[in-house]
Amino acid sequence: MGRRLRRAAADYAYIAPALGVLLFVIGYPICDTIYLSFFATPPNLAMSQKVFVGFGNYTRILGSDAFLSATWNTFLWTFFSTGISFVLGFGAALALNREFVGRGLLRGVLLVPYVISAVAAAYVWRWLYHSDFGVIGALSVALRITDKPLIFLDDVNTVLPSLIVVNIWKEFPFAMIMVLAGLQTVPDQLLRAARVDGAGPWHAFWHVTFSHLRGVSTITVLLLVVTSINSFTIPWIMTGGGPAGASHIWITAIYEMAFGRLRFGAAAAYSVILFLILMCLGYFYVRALTGAGNKRSAAE
Amino acid sequence: MKVGRIDGWRVGGWAFLTLLLLFAVLPMAWMLLTSVKTQFAAAQYPPEWWPHHPTLQNYTRLLSPSSDVGQEFLTYMLNSLWVSSATTVIGVIIAVPAAYAFSRFRFPGRETLFYAVLLRNMFPGVVFLIPLFIMMRTLRLVNTEWSLILTYLTFGLPLSIWLLKGFYDNIPPQLEQAARIDGASRFQAFIRVVMPLSSPGIIATAIYSFVQAWNEYIYALTFLTGKEKLTLPVGLQQFFTEYATDWPGLMAAAFIMSVPVVTMFLILQRYFVRALAEGAVKS
Repeated sequence: MGRRLRRAAADYAYIAPALGVLLFVIGYPICDTIYLSFFATPPNLAMSQKVFVGFGNYTRILGSDAFLSATWNTFLWTFFSTGISFVLGFGAALALNREFVGRGLLRGVLLVPYVISAVAAAYVWRWLYHSDFGVIGALSVALRITDKPLIFLDDVNTVLPSLIVVNIWKEFPFAMIMVLAGLQTVPDQLLRAARVDGAGPWHAFWHVTFSHLRGVSTITVLLLVVTSINSFTIPWIMTGGGPAGASHIWITAIYEMAFGRLRFGAAAAYSVILFLILMCLGYFYVRALTGAGNKRSAAE
Repeated sequence: MKVGRIDGWRVGGWAFLTLLLLFAVLPMAWMLLTSVKTQFAAAQYPPEWWPHHPTLQNYTRLLSPSSDVGQEFLTYMLNSLWVSSATTVIGVIIAVPAAYAFSRFRFPGRETLFYAVLLRNMFPGVVFLIPLFIMMRTLRLVNTEWSLILTYLTFGLPLSIWLLKGFYDNIPPQLEQAARIDGASRFQAFIRVVMPLSSPGIIATAIYSFVQAWNEYIYALTFLTGKEKLTLPVGLQQFFTEYATDWPGLMAAAFIMSVPVVTMFLILQRYFVRALAEGAVKS
């Protein structure tokens, strides 16, 4: 018994540094956020002058119209970004999953939007969408799709779809590599066996390839959802939540509350709400991961 | 009949790939085309589809230490380089033993710990931003590189451990056992046998955390206040507020900033895709 414990202690030594950093920069902030969320903090950030308000911050946020509209925006933003990114990435992975000249190069080029910094991407797209000199507006006139340049970022009705396009541009390559990686685990023998048994290409795809990709797909979609909910750089640099708050999602609303209006207590409460929502998603994430593992070991 | 159907799929696949390629590439192509225009040429309607008088002046201005703009830009770049390198090196030193432990040892609490590590990926920077900002203020680290290095370490660690664990899972334990039988201690076996075999994984992981740190925006935006400390992403924003109409200059800066990360990824994408395949897919 004592020996086992000593063995375990030696094992813990390997993860102790990682654990230390994680506790310091994750454990403490979570507790502190929850604690702060029950206080009204003064705008000069002198934390000693904060006032206990119980659930006041929570009730005020949950009852506000701004929260409702940010929630709806976050839903649209996440739903469309994830759905379209996943479909595009999945299609690209299937199309890339055979040998042809230049395959590696093509895959590399398609990965570039995912790799370049979100700040650079945000400015590039701001320039593409520019109301006076934007190339997309000019192109739509030149090709006679519209008679005058479209307004993208300065109109409350078009701003969110315009941002979603940028997010899709940035995220579809991630879905692509995940699915590509998953395709590499599909055993060739199974596909061949299916063909021998008389399955057409569509049947072979559906019953062998697709069912093999179910685990990867679940994880990819969940990760895309989480990335979209958490994305800050693109909406913040491109619109800062505007015009007139029309493109605020949860994250930008929290940032604005904390560092724009310096209401740390209220922003902390907002963060805790977001945190709880993500915890639910995290539960599914872990279940998807372990579920995939169990199925595989059962099959073996 | 059957052949015709396969061809249909093929043609459809090519058409789809072409459209997707245009969608991915055209924005970047326009960034490059704009970056070789003068400010005057960029502010035209309808736009100059192809620059009439291409110029490299935007690039030379940004990269020459003698001009004011160049001096600023090069400072941002050096800051980014320092923060990203420090994050990467420290991160790898911490992640390697942790990933090894998660892959090899069966200790109490291993499962929960591992999911705790994974869950970090789920939480938005903003949840941590407020308390970390207060903490950095208390520690007097606001407006220092260390505030960022410390924070980026926690971004990088979970995924680094995750990716590396996949690599260690694939190295047969028999190799270490053989070394142990030959008289090596567990630690020696780890250093001499496992480490060299896992170097592709370590490279992929290091690149990943470097790129994350290089591109990070929200913490840099919040923690850095002095102009001389800014990293490139916030520096770019600073640049935009100062020279609001200089779109060609901004596009050139965005391009320069993207070059290192894109090159690294293109050269090492094989490692990266493999790391993802082994870490994330096989779980």
